[in-house]
Amino acid sequence: MELLEFARGPVLTFAITVFIAGITYRVFSLFLMWRTKDSSAGRKRSRSAFASAVREVIRRLWPQAVYQQRTMFELVNGYVFHIGLAIIVFLLAPHIVFIKDLVGLSWPALPNNVVYAVSIITMVSLIAALVMRIANPPQRLISTFDDWFSWIVTFLPVLTGVIATSHLGARYETLLALHILSVALLLIWIPFGKLMHFFLVFVTRSQTGAHLSHRGAQL
Amino acid sequence: MNATTNTVSDAQAAANKFLALNSGNLAAYLEACIHCGQCATACHFYEVTNDPKYTPAYKLFPMAKAHRKTKWPWNWFGGPTVTEADLEEWEELLFDSCTMCGRCTQVCPMGIDIASIVAASRQAFSAAGRGPSDLFEAAENVLTKGSPLGVTPAVFDGRVEWLEDDYEVDLPLDKDKAEVLLTISSIEMMKYPKSIVAMARLMNQAGVDWTFSTKGYESTNFGFLAGKPHIARHAIEKLVSAAEEIGAKTLIIPECGHAYGVLRWSGANILGRPLPFEVLHITEYLAKLKKEGKIKFKTIDGSLTYHDPCQISRRGGATDAARYLLEDCTDFREMTPTGNFNWCCGGGGGVQAMSRAADLRHKVFQIKMKQVEDTGADMMISACANCRLTMDDSKEHWNWDRELESLVELLAENLVEDHPHPFDAKPHLATNV
Amino acid sequence: MSDKKTLGEMLTERGVSRRSFLKYASYTASILALPPTAATAIAQGIANARRQSVIWLSFQECTGCTESITRAHAPSIEDLIFDFISLDYHHTLQNASGHLAEEARMQAMKDNAGEYIVIVDGSVPLKDDGIYSTIAGITNLQMLEETCRDAFAVISVGSCATFGGIPGANPNPTGAVPVSDIITDKPVINISGCPPIPEAMTGTIAYLLSFGSVPELDHLGRPKAFFGEAIHDRCYRRPFYERGMFAKSFDDEGARQGWCLFEVGCKGPVSYNACATLKWNGGVSFPIQSGHGCLGCSEPGFWDMGGFYKPLSTAKGDPLQWAGGAAVAGAAIGAASAAIARNKRNKVMKEGK
Repeated sequence: MELLEFARGPVLTFAITVFIAGITYRVFSLFLMWRTKDSSAGRKRSRSAFASAVREVIRRLWPQAVYQQRTMFELVNGYVFHIGLAIIVFLLAPHIVFIKDLVGLSWPALPNNVVYAVSIITMVSLIAALVMRIANPPQRLISTFDDWFSWIVTFLPVLTGVIATSHLGARYETLLALHILSVALLLIWIPFGKLMHFFLVFVTRSQTGAHLSHRGAQL
Repeated sequence: MNATTNTVSDAQAAANKFLALNSGNLAAYLEACIHCGQCATACHFYEVTNDPKYTPAYKLFPMAKAHRKTKWPWNWFGGPTVTEADLEEWEELLFDSCTMCGRCTQVCPMGIDIASIVAASRQAFSAAGRGPSDLFEAAENVLTKGSPLGVTPAVFDGRVEWLEDDYEVDLPLDKDKAEVLLTISSIEMMKYPKSIVAMARLMNQAGVDWTFSTKGYESTNFGFLAGKPHIARHAIEKLVSAAEEIGAKTLIIPECGHAYGVLRWSGANILGRPLPFEVLHITEYLAKLKKEGKIKFKTIDGSLTYHDPCQISRRGGATDAARYLLEDCTDFREMTPTGNFNWCCGGGGGVQAMSRAADLRHKVFQIKMKQVEDTGADMMISACANCRLTMDDSKEHWNWDRELESLVELLAENLVEDHPHPFDAKPHLATNV
Repeated sequence: MSDKKTLGEMLTERGVSRRSFLKYASYTASILALPPTAATAIAQGIANARRQSVIWLSFQECTGCTESITRAHAPSIEDLIFDFISLDYHHTLQNASGHLAEEARMQAMKDNAGEYIVIVDGSVPLKDDGIYSTIAGITNLQMLEETCRDAFAVISVGSCATFGGIPGANPNPTGAVPVSDIITDKPVINISGCPPIPEAMTGTIAYLLSFGSVPELDHLGRPKAFFGEAIHDRCYRRPFYERGMFAKSFDDEGARQGWCLFEVGCKGPVSYNACATLKWNGGVSFPIQSGHGCLGCSEPGFWDMGGFYKPLSTAKGDPLQWAGGAAVAGAAIGAASAAIARNKRNKVMKEGK
């Protein structure tokens, strides 16, 4: 019980504090850097830079037909675990209660056993992503500590969550505590590694969208 | 340069250059890479070798390293610095095996523009004295001779005169005032002069007020490709002052991909002020003339396909111009993939000028051969002298039997002229001089 | 008051039938989750045992535990006190008071040295030399140490004696500690709860009498027979939890339909007790059945778990308490980082020129 109280209390508070500080650090340290200005004369186009940026963020949700076949595995698997993680995080009743307590917003939940099934699928998908990272030579070559560690801290909360829900191996409060501790680890790591892509994806996609649509290049 | 230069190591010089170039725009790209490796599937160098080192994301590594090292308080945690060994390893990857074609940008789920990082990285490597010597030599030639292939103003003048005589075409040179300044690629001047003649014929037929200028004629920018910004700037300044002097409203880039990309999209940024004229690729300009009804073409027979130069189509936004110009063709066939998704010739980004990259280039051309063969077309048209040179070279290497042709030359041959030109009577005259 | 006769002899003298005695033994065996054959062993064990001397110490407590045990369904408290045990000292229940009461305790300790059982309810204050609770001129600590010295076993009943309970809740002004913090040289059985289920108390005493040994305990020293399973796992509302059907407040449709109380703060998933199976008041009901979430009263620190009505999956306290400061600090470090990068760049560019 003490471990659970420790996890729910000081550890979670610490993790959320670091998370917030880390995110603002990443955003400010990037956005306050000097930026190049493009003074070249753009091609006449129907969209504003802003519209092109937004369009590109949306358009890249699905690859161009040319590249689909070769990236189908990453595409499908990527969507499976991203959507799976979103369902787990935002549609499991205890999680909604957590969010409601934190920020005051709530919405309907999915039944526990549905989320349980999603969690299993998500874990399989994450493992598949890991196998791909190991087996695919380009991916293995470009993998760094960040990639391996980020995988672990993403996988652990799902694993501990499933174990806690199934009451496997230890008492529920211990499992719940481990689950919360793993989430704390994830929160602390997010701002300092590649998981920051949850935010950066909007920056880079819109940047490239604005940049290339300025040229009239169709992407 | 001062005395301290000698004490700065190569790695430090590279790191300093990285720091100088590391804008928020590029830093966002460097921080966002999730190492998914999908870019490998878009890269022709990986496609033909299956060697993971050609993964485009891997080419970000030196700059990403340098970026982390300069990010406070991140750098308290130490981490790797760019080392001599890194310079050794990545020199080949950044120069010999990247044509900055931008296909990887298309496939990247994060939308990272890897080509722009490669361009910046080349500058850093160049500052450390790392890069292919022949590319660097070509870049230095721009400073000393005014052209990477040694086309000095005198040579230019002489050859223009010779072309005028030999092809019986009017090539205005150094007119005091002109609406349009036409530039050339020295690759054309030395290897494919016919396309210069072709451009002139098309312009003349349309009645354009144009001229060449001995003060600014070279449109290629090897300073940019070699990562030598002072040379890049020098080349741009020459074109700008020549255009300003004659009061040109439009500057036309000939059949050359990177020349278009550099001047049109980076020219103002390198120069530090907006360009005082409009920059158009020859295909864009001809499309405009055709639309205005100033030039007309006969029906073009024979099966042909069009190779999109990366900097004109994918990264230039002028994909449609060439197709509009080729609409009179009876049997036009698109490659798969085509247009903005077309494969690179393998020689862009200065790779054509690196002798040591020849083997790799030839391998890459196999993709193009397959693409063309799949269309069944007899002839491949392109609108980039650099692509053409790369492909001619590779074609010879593989003893490939299909024809390669320049778009402007094809158009000139099929131009409806007020006075039929003797050129057409002897079309195969002096193709290689 | 201790008797040299066996309990069997006494029961016979009192006219308790063998049949009703065996019935009691079977019931006790069943609530202790022992196999049916154990009923015979319990019957034999109790029949051959002598009346057990028990000293009941009450420290910082509310007498709720005594209230609870006097409502034991079976065996009844009368049976226990007058038939099985000799309750030699108990503030609330004994007739004697003052120094007579203390003398009774001393006598029992002397007569049954090494054999008597000490039951404690209430926590022990240690702060300021334990002056916050004294009985007969000595502190609780002194009385506990003195009484336990020659005891056979110690049973802590109630969450105060087992885990510090309400007196030990933050900020714990008296420095209250559980019995097990002080008595470390002999077995201490913890029967937690606020109050504990009566059958858990009497059943454990019956086990001690029958087998002369301590029942199997969990990691918190509690008999596994009563504290082995989470209330959540045996709760009749559990199917609603699995289906995601939750009461959102105490007067909504979900509450009326008897849905799961997780979202209104039920601590059932982390509370180990027999409430959902034995229930209270002779098996009538238990808190969740009556429409209120479990408070987790049998768990350490239940008073400080972050609020009875805060769902278990929420953070404890306010995890956003430093959010504003964190955002400002992050922004400041970020701005400094960008400024340092700009500076370095300017320096490098200047040197390069």
